Amino acid sequence: MVSGMVKVIAKNGIHLRLASELVKAANRFRSEITISKDSQEVNAKSILGVAGLGAELGSELFIKADGDDESEALDYLIGLVESDFMKERR
Amino acid sequence: MAHKAADNKEMIFHGIPASPGIAFGEAFVVNVEDFPVTADRVPPDQIELEVQRFEAALQETEEELRKLHKRLEDEMGVEHAKILDSHRMILTDEVICKDTIRHIKKHKVNAAYAFTTVLDNVLTTFDQIEDQYLKERAEDIRDVKRRVVRNLLGQKVEGLSNLRKQAVVVAKNLTPSDTAVLERKYVLAFVTDTGGSTSHAAIIARSLGIPAVVGLENLSHNVKPYDRLIIDGISGQVVVHPTPETERMFKEAGIKFREMEKELLTLRDYPAVTLDGHTIELSGNIEIADEVDDVVGHGAKGVGLFRTEYFFITRNSLPSEEEQYRYYRSVVKKLAPDPVLFRTLDVGGDKIAKWAPNVQEANPFMGWRGIRFTLSRKDIFRTQLRAIFRTAAHGNVRIMFPMISVMEEVLQAKEICEEVKADLKRERYQIGENVEIGIMIETPSAVAIADMLAREVDFFSIGTNDLIQYSLAVDRGNSRISYLYNDLHPSILRFIRDTVGAAHKEGIWVGICGEMPGSVYGTLLALGLGLDEISAGSYLIPEIKKIIRSVTFGEVKSLVRKVLKLSTAEEVKQFLDKYIADKRPELKEYMPEAFK
Repeated sequence: MVSGMVKVIAKNGIHLRLASELVKAANRFRSEITISKDSQEVNAKSILGVAGLGAELGSELFIKADGDDESEALDYLIGLVESDFMKERR
Repeated sequence: MAHKAADNKEMIFHGIPASPGIAFGEAFVVNVEDFPVTADRVPPDQIELEVQRFEAALQETEEELRKLHKRLEDEMGVEHAKILDSHRMILTDEVICKDTIRHIKKHKVNAAYAFTTVLDNVLTTFDQIEDQYLKERAEDIRDVKRRVVRNLLGQKVEGLSNLRKQAVVVAKNLTPSDTAVLERKYVLAFVTDTGGSTSHAAIIARSLGIPAVVGLENLSHNVKPYDRLIIDGISGQVVVHPTPETERMFKEAGIKFREMEKELLTLRDYPAVTLDGHTIELSGNIEIADEVDDVVGHGAKGVGLFRTEYFFITRNSLPSEEEQYRYYRSVVKKLAPDPVLFRTLDVGGDKIAKWAPNVQEANPFMGWRGIRFTLSRKDIFRTQLRAIFRTAAHGNVRIMFPMISVMEEVLQAKEICEEVKADLKRERYQIGENVEIGIMIETPSAVAIADMLAREVDFFSIGTNDLIQYSLAVDRGNSRISYLYNDLHPSILRFIRDTVGAAHKEGIWVGICGEMPGSVYGTLLALGLGLDEISAGSYLIPEIKKIIRSVTFGEVKSLVRKVLKLSTAEEVKQFLDKYIADKRPELKEYMPEAFK
């Protein structure tokens, strides 16, 4: 199992649309992935879970991945959040 | 079905006529409320079937969303459509699907109930989110929930954005955000359960020139999708399942109405001048740029009220200076040299933008709206003013601030205008130099200090809708008390008289831009009270012009002097009726009392 911390820099926080980007990404990996904020932990492959975190600008997310592609998964997801979702690919 | 004949019996409902005309068409029932879901048990041998039903409903919803996505993408662009990606993703959310199926099996309940329970559970976590913006995303989830439940219950009730062929829109209530997503060309008429003649649906209907009937109480529960309807916006009747006889009757009435309309349109190119040569400036109200053609087509000179907020509230984010500039410029260029009067952003009240902070106010109409909003969000205010001043380089532009209740607001807003102008000049933008700056007179306090306000601005425009609402303390959307909402009350007439007096004493012009001129009474009163300008919905322009051209300024002035001595709205009405009957019987044809 690997884990890491990342800070949300998306201006409006991780709203539904960004959550769906994140979930789409998480679903590309076989590992079990969870994200937690404060004391709340959710399945990173569930959009409602991720959107329900209410991760606003500046909040810290703790991402855990467990499985055969855990390192790639963790790196990719942290990179995604850090890059502000690649500026929503614009 | 055996009882089908009984189902389709003709029913007639009476409401408040809100926009004239007669329409025939199928009902498009909009229901934005949740559907009643009950915890009905499912027999053990049918559990598997129920799970399949759930999966089918998900698939059906997915298909619906896919189509909507495509349509949105075509109409609004890729970015706008992206939100539907997340809606579709909710449908395939592992947790949701598995939990729902588990719930069906474990509690042996129907799929709609299980799905609702699971989603409501998720939604409670959203309630705990502190960030307002993120919290509001729960609305998206509710939207998906409604779609799935609707498909599970087999109900064909749709969202407004799904309107794809001509129909009569039937709803409990319609907000500006609801009508914003409508394809206006498909709407034959609006009918709503709530509201009065100045509620939003009514105003939109009038600006589109389609009939509307409001305040129908429980009509939406008595109409099924695709039911045949006749909407009579003149008498306020709605007929469900009309008989051929009824159809014939209303068709004749419709022909008569259109003939009168046609006759009025012949006045298009004539000025609004009385028989004794008094000219009044007659301009049109608009909400969106597309309406400019209507303004011109109906013979108005320019725009006397551009409600700029509609450009703002229909979008998910704030429009940039460039976007606003291009949009405003399209209107100004088309109308030059006739004036375009921009009312700065008037959000709040019942006009809530998607990007605006979600503030729960007990009294939104007395809350953070109009100039109060823009002065506390100077970033938004400045951007809009920059766009308007730049637009002014291309034509005749006026600026007006809404909801002024104290002097400080005027002084501050003017100061910001000066700063914006200086900035633009420094940045070497071309701007209009002779932009008139004015204010809306729509609060009693503004009337009380009108003499002082008049020294600070170039013009006044009286917004009768809100002035009546605030003066008589009547919520215009509340059908129980909407009888109080009447512009013939002596209090309103005195307020207008005082405002006009204060303006003219300082040598500034004063107009009226509410719904008041929408009746023969209102037009006569506006003329006689000495207003210099009338701005109204395009569809009203020909009638107002006809009335002005049928009377002398002298007789109407003396009429109004007498009217100002009367103490009730009823007396005012009777007095005006008598004048029309005795002196100008031809005016009876125009704008019957029913529209008020």
